[in-house]
Amino acid sequence: MQGPNANTSTKSFKQAFLKNLLLNLHALTSTSASSFDAISLHQRKRTVKSSTDVAMAAARDDSGDAGAVRWPKAILARASRAFKMRRRRRIVIRCCGRKRCLTRSRAAASSSDGGDAARRLVRRRTMALRDMIPGGRDAAVDETTLLREAMDYVVHLRAQVDMLRQVSEAVQRFSSIALQVRDEQTILVASIVFTGDLLYLTNYLLIWRAVTRKQNDGRDLEPLPKGKHLS
Amino acid sequence: MTLLNQIQTVRSRSRQSGSSRITDEQISDLVSKLQDLLPEARLRGNDRVPSSRVLQETCSYIRSLHREVDDLSERLSELLATSDMSTAQAAVIRSLLM
Repeated sequence: MQGPNANTSTKSFKQAFLKNLLLNLHALTSTSASSFDAISLHQRKRTVKSSTDVAMAAARDDSGDAGAVRWPKAILARASRAFKMRRRRRIVIRCCGRKRCLTRSRAAASSSDGGDAARRLVRRRTMALRDMIPGGRDAAVDETTLLREAMDYVVHLRAQVDMLRQVSEAVQRFSSIALQVRDEQTILVASIVFTGDLLYLTNYLLIWRAVTRKQNDGRDLEPLPKGKHLS
Repeated sequence: MTLLNQIQTVRSRSRQSGSSRITDEQISDLVSKLQDLLPEARLRGNDRVPSSRVLQETCSYIRSLHREVDDLSERLSELLATSDMSTAQAAVIRSLLM
């Protein structure tokens, strides 16, 4: 990426992404605390993945130039639809939309000039790219818009991957450190108890000696040096 | 110039020209900028790569990024299952501060 502005906008995006991810993860585990552990690994992965996508889209949508791109809103719309579908427990048939797009693209290809093979290839590749970009299948997205969307999407996808990697590594480090601290704490506590016992014992002996000396009123409990007697 | 400035310049240029037709020059300009974003290993020789190749590589690059997000999400969900939530939250907060 070039320019200082790009770096700062990426940094603020990354911070917004992390913040959103934190909120999503907290919402996931606090509202359905028991069920997050109870659901299958596959379901958990899907939930985490959709949270990261929503976090990325929301962070992008939150910045100043949010209106310039469509893909964040497409992701958010898709996620809210999926959420509503899950609540109503209906099966979503997604292939219908895909078929519609294919027939549209085939019609466009046939209506354009049939001669130039290179241009047909470019058109085919453009159609494939539409499927990769969220919201790319919309008919309102022309070629220029699609290319702009692709550039913005790639940049932010890369940032998402970087952030996810950092978070995974941080969680891994933290949990291992936490275990280490737990072990060290145990050793520390044990050593304090041990030392404390020793100190207590020593103090007790000293106190006992002082007390017993006083009680005997000058009479030493310790063996006197020979030749000395107390009356 | 930042990427955003470049995109905005292209947009304003098309508006200033008065015609709504998208010129091939604009498209090839955008394609070359897209090419710059792709990792270098994907394109042998940065000059004179056909647009169709750039588009193809962009698709496969996005696909591989999606796969990476998938794998990382799986790893993160496994970590969240084994460690407690407060650890994960503390880790994310620490990343925020860095």
